[in-house]
Amino acid sequence: MPTDTKRVRGPDVSQSPSLFVCQPADGVSPQGPRADGRRRDQVDVRPVFVRCGLVSQAKGSAYIEAGNTKLMCCVYGPRETERKDETDMKCGRLTTDMRFAPFSCPERGSWIQGSQEKDFSTMLQESLQPAVCLHKYPRSQIEVNMMVLENSGSVLAHAITCASLALADAGIEMYDLVLGCSLRQNGASYVADPTSAEENDRGPDQSRNQGSLTVAFLPSLNQISGLQSDGEMSEDTLTAGVRTCIEGCYKLYPLVQQVLSRCVSRAACAPPPR
Amino acid sequence: MMAAVEVSEAEKVYILHGIRDDLRVDGRGCEDYRHMEIETDVVSNTDGSAKVTLGHTVVLVGIKTEIGKPRPMVPNEGYLEFFVDCSANATPEFEGRGGEELGTELSNTLYRVFNNKHSIDLKRLCISPGEHCWVLYVDVLLLQCDGNLYDAMSIAIKAALFNTKIPKVFISSDDEGGKDIELSDDPYDCMRLNVENVPCIVTLCKVGHRHIVDATLQEKACSVASLIMSVTHKGTVTCTRKVGGGSLDPESIFEMTEAGKRVGKALHAPLMKLLEQEESLGKKQQKVGFFG
Repeated sequence: MPTDTKRVRGPDVSQSPSLFVCQPADGVSPQGPRADGRRRDQVDVRPVFVRCGLVSQAKGSAYIEAGNTKLMCCVYGPRETERKDETDMKCGRLTTDMRFAPFSCPERGSWIQGSQEKDFSTMLQESLQPAVCLHKYPRSQIEVNMMVLENSGSVLAHAITCASLALADAGIEMYDLVLGCSLRQNGASYVADPTSAEENDRGPDQSRNQGSLTVAFLPSLNQISGLQSDGEMSEDTLTAGVRTCIEGCYKLYPLVQQVLSRCVSRAACAPPPR
Repeated sequence: MMAAVEVSEAEKVYILHGIRDDLRVDGRGCEDYRHMEIETDVVSNTDGSAKVTLGHTVVLVGIKTEIGKPRPMVPNEGYLEFFVDCSANATPEFEGRGGEELGTELSNTLYRVFNNKHSIDLKRLCISPGEHCWVLYVDVLLLQCDGNLYDAMSIAIKAALFNTKIPKVFISSDDEGGKDIELSDDPYDCMRLNVENVPCIVTLCKVGHRHIVDATLQEKACSVASLIMSVTHKGTVTCTRKVGGGSLDPESIFEMTEAGKRVGKALHAPLMKLLEQEESLGKKQQKVGFFG
């Protein structure tokens, strides 16, 4: 990387001041209302703002905002595939690239894609691929670029919804929309669509059911296209969590449909480009 | 992307129909593993190592311990670092940077599998809070690929962690208040890890209307999607992940998690028994090596 030699460089290692903040003794209490007034143990997802077609250069694009989580997605293609060595020429390729802006998280990130971003990219790809009619795009690739502008929890879930909207906006043939929903299990209770504070709340040591779960769901086909969990959960909790997330996805569905149809009708009414 | 084999339509139908009747090409039932061999302490330069052979899949895990600085967010804990190398020995596709994508995917999954408080007691890896801790570098090498990398890898990691010997260290402080780390003189004076809660991964492949455990490459080619689950000996699930290009309906996910829990739970007791048996043999143990 080119560096400015005239400039006084900062120290090689630096730490975020947030590390020195005195942590409250027991974090957020597992009972009582959530910090933003939503209810626990309910499919109480944050209100979502969604728009399509905001980037004029891209074939399709979408923006989603849930609480302070803000994501932007652009879809380019279908265009001729870059990797010629790929053996399967009957099917198209869907590539995903998810990145966090360096300022999107409480701690500054790097511009270089880290392993967490690669992990998110893979999960996004696996969640979207079942919904896209890739056999309609032989020898071509469709690129999905996701940028996290602000991370305030449930990033992957909203990224999935946003990317499927951008794909639809780009006119890519799909079997169904893909909707995402996250959940944070905290002992016996859970919070749907957690904020980042709730995601990082580790709770008391002894409690066994501690984990996060993200589900990608195809609502009209009733299929799960992506599932990802970590932490510690019993099988019953996991099963219940998946059901809750599906419910959360259905809550998003009418809004997403409405946004898409408005986007399409606006495009239909617009004067044809000269 | 993962060392795939070409399977013709007729072969696919044959495999699918077999699995429908709970009979697989190699004669196994749907929830049976292939023959598995485990050997620990195979590389002398490591602090802990294990080799697992599952059918024709061979995984070698070496663990090296080093003293590092604890992560600022958790000053009183050590940490684990995972790296998976897909050797070009396994398949020519992994040559050069070919195996990188699969390697990152596997190592990222491992971080998720161990992302909880109980798998490994990280507090025991702390030497002096905020200053020194043990870092366990878990390096996984895939020597042969014949499907079901995840399961073989997780079993090898559990065996290698069981085998890991961390030297005992003491903190001595001199008159000026400076601290120094002293290593125990006795090479046999070492700390062992409690691996009881280390989970094992179970990969369930959906083939037709059923799911199978420990799929070979041919069987994997017939499957549209798989579910990866890491299960502890108590049946707690520490990580799940859907992989592959297809989708699954919710009911089959629930069936698969139920089966995965059952299969994963049953994996631990014989594994621990075997590891303890091998440990008790000590130096008398017959080494099998790489051509066994």
